[in-house]
Amino acid sequence: MQIGNIIQLLSGGLAMGAIYVLVALGLYITHLTTHRVNFGQGDFLMVGTFLMLLIRKAGAPLGVAIALTLLVLAIMGWLLERIAIRPLDRKKASPVGAFSWILTTAGIALILQNVIELGFGKTSQYSAPLFSSQRDQVVQVLGAGLFVEEILVIVAAIVIVAIFYTFMFHSRWGKNIQAVAFNPESAKLLGIHTDRVKTGVFVIAAILAAVAGILIGPLVTINPHMGLVLTIKALIVAAIGGFANPVGILVGGILFGVFESLSNYVDSGFGDLYPLLAALIIIAVKPSGLFSEGRADVR
Amino acid sequence: MSDNAHKKTHDSKRILYLLGIILFVVMPWLPINGFYIFLAQTFFYTLIAVIGLNLLLGLSGQMSLGQAGFYALGAYGSALTALKLGWPIPLSIAFGTLLAALGGGLVGVFALRTRGLYLAMTTLAVGYVLDILAQRWIGLTGGAMGLSGVPQIEFGFPKLGPVFFFYFAGTALIVIQLLSDFIHDGRFGRNLRAIRESEVFAASVGIQVSRWKAGIFAFAAALAGMGGAFFAHQSGYVGSDAFTVRLSIALLIAAVVGGLGTKSGPFLGTLILLGIVEVIAGIDKYGLFIYGLILVTVLLAFPKGAAGVLDSLKNKIGLSRKDSAPLGEGLSPSKEQLSALALKSIATEGTSLCIEGISKSYSGLKAVDEVSIDVQPNTVHGLIGPNGAGKSTIINMIAGVYLPDTGRITLGGQDISSLGIADRAHLGLARTFQNLQLIEGVSVLDNVMLGVKHQQSYTKDFFDWLFKNSLEKNERQESMNILNFLGLGHLADRLPSELPYGHRKLLELARAIAQRPRILLLDEPIAGMNTQEAKEIAQVILKLRQLGITIVLVEHNMEFVMSVCDKLSVLNFGRLIAHGTPNEIQNNPTVIEAYLGTGVKK
Repeated sequence: MQIGNIIQLLSGGLAMGAIYVLVALGLYITHLTTHRVNFGQGDFLMVGTFLMLLIRKAGAPLGVAIALTLLVLAIMGWLLERIAIRPLDRKKASPVGAFSWILTTAGIALILQNVIELGFGKTSQYSAPLFSSQRDQVVQVLGAGLFVEEILVIVAAIVIVAIFYTFMFHSRWGKNIQAVAFNPESAKLLGIHTDRVKTGVFVIAAILAAVAGILIGPLVTINPHMGLVLTIKALIVAAIGGFANPVGILVGGILFGVFESLSNYVDSGFGDLYPLLAALIIIAVKPSGLFSEGRADVR
Repeated sequence: MSDNAHKKTHDSKRILYLLGIILFVVMPWLPINGFYIFLAQTFFYTLIAVIGLNLLLGLSGQMSLGQAGFYALGAYGSALTALKLGWPIPLSIAFGTLLAALGGGLVGVFALRTRGLYLAMTTLAVGYVLDILAQRWIGLTGGAMGLSGVPQIEFGFPKLGPVFFFYFAGTALIVIQLLSDFIHDGRFGRNLRAIRESEVFAASVGIQVSRWKAGIFAFAAALAGMGGAFFAHQSGYVGSDAFTVRLSIALLIAAVVGGLGTKSGPFLGTLILLGIVEVIAGIDKYGLFIYGLILVTVLLAFPKGAAGVLDSLKNKIGLSRKDSAPLGEGLSPSKEQLSALALKSIATEGTSLCIEGISKSYSGLKAVDEVSIDVQPNTVHGLIGPNGAGKSTIINMIAGVYLPDTGRITLGGQDISSLGIADRAHLGLARTFQNLQLIEGVSVLDNVMLGVKHQQSYTKDFFDWLFKNSLEKNERQESMNILNFLGLGHLADRLPSELPYGHRKLLELARAIAQRPRILLLDEPIAGMNTQEAKEIAQVILKLRQLGITIVLVEHNMEFVMSVCDKLSVLNFGRLIAHGTPNEIQNNPTVIEAYLGTGVKK
């Protein structure tokens, strides 16, 4: 394997890892605040990708397409919380117990898959690159040809993760979210609208899924059933970070992406399973995640 | 109690069973389309898998999104051994079932350490991995092209194959439905429900939580595997398309739509599921949409599923259990004798409890600091102190919920510092909780039976239940006696949620007494009770002491504490500041200072 090869694999892995991080951060923020996640997070991403495809095919400029996609997904996140999650909290005696939300969010995911399938068909599609006119714009780095899009995804992901962290830890909104996460009752007493925050985090999660969807479109072939794998991988990445540590999610996601890229190269048949299995073993041995603060999740 | 009413409903259920079995025996000989036989076969093996999922999710509250994976293990395990190794089909199906159970046991490791979200996530991931393996490991599974020529059940009569399969799968189903009913009715179901309510609570009544969780996970996987194994032999063809996440979701839909945690739920749910599948077959492109819509609608609007809907219909037309005979108040003239019997049976040799220099910190904050307490056998020992003094932390360290950072705890001379909660319960340590812990879904009587020691083997239980129509008779009687002793006998058939707060607290005490404790930990036994109720509790406590039980209690009500306790230990800021008799404590200047603040002169 040449150095160029390695760089290609690394950049591909980094790009996918960045996508996983974006999707997983959405899971992280809702889990932190409400102890619930959207089991259709990957399907939200899928909807975002197809929306981009649709709007751009209709001839709208890139900026408009992005804005529209973000808007629609934000509304979807809002609806999801209102329809499939919040009503369950009022039914305490449900026989499914505290985990009904897993099934309702998964149910919504199935509906989304079906809707997109009816609109676009089952077959895989290519979405247009974001900036270049074709898929083959390549820059040379250390003798390796790297796709412009790939580099762009990595850069965009880094920028968005940075924005996310600033938002979470240095803005008033982020502080409200943390207050609700820490203790909803006392947050309420402090005058925070906990209900709004709880809906808000699902909107943010949906927007993160949309961003990931916009970025992933040009990297892979897209189909209505691509969401499940992304949900699984994002969940695993979030679990590596213990669902509680955004830095852990960042490191875990990147490692996962790079590992996957390398193992896919080594074993084209089953390569994508190695990082999954490795991560599962890690979680079995250390349920609190690799980068947690040493506190097991006892819920 | 209403044993007669109990029997009556039981009998009417038997008749349903009998009718079902008769229909089952004659159905293949009725002049009906072979397609219905095929459908019935599918119903049988799908129901087997759904029953497993219902036990897992409905009783123990553990979520699996990966049952399709275990179904696949069973299918390939059976198909391959029969096809490639020529094993006879009953053996190959047993092997497939076992393989799935092993897979379930392995994944059960996750179930042990994590709950809810993590388990849903790992089962989803494992199901996905197994699905991918089935698709891509073409050398073994044939991938999407599948394995054909999988042996079928014929015994040399190919024409009768479908009938043989029908009887074989149907018989397996009947056995499993009976097992499932037995689990729901008795100790298994109670224990699983307790685990679902809270693991600490379950362990505190002596349930080895991890063993039970792993066990039920493996059992549910085995049933999924058995379903898959039958599937593999139904048409002689096994393709990898059958094992996607869609199957996991379909099984979940059946369990949820039927009514989780009910005995008839899986039957109804599988019936509805197959109905849906038949309908979808015509409009397959809306299949996922329909699945999703059903999941969301049922969970939001009918969380109790078809069984729940049927129940409320029955209630409306007046067939409900509660209307049958107002619980035999007058039926037990010997109530006093019975409760006296109960007291005799819980009489015990009290034990001492010795706490030696235990400490506990929560991230730097010292909640308990080098506390030593000596509890004499057969006394009532009170732990008092202002809020945040560390009382609950000490109770939880005695019970085994937290392990102390330093020091040791001995029970009757035996060091229990490193034992788990359940092991301590087995040594005779019982407790109540500050925030009540009861199983809300089962009767008051069943809640007490949760504490009673199991008296004969499960096999014996099963045959008594099956043939004599009586399950855990002795345990039932003993629990009834304890309820009578506490004056709750007339409420035995109610649900805990129908009881007022004071009665719920008494019920929790009843369960703790049923454990026949040598030492009883009571965490705020009269919080939220009125004076009259508090007096009753005080009397019960004194009576229990008479019977030899050592009692340790935490309580804020001073009048109560002073009247029932023989010895008191006073804590402040995690330190022991005084101990002695109530009299000594009342006159201890340090204690007065801690309670009333500095500067107050006596």
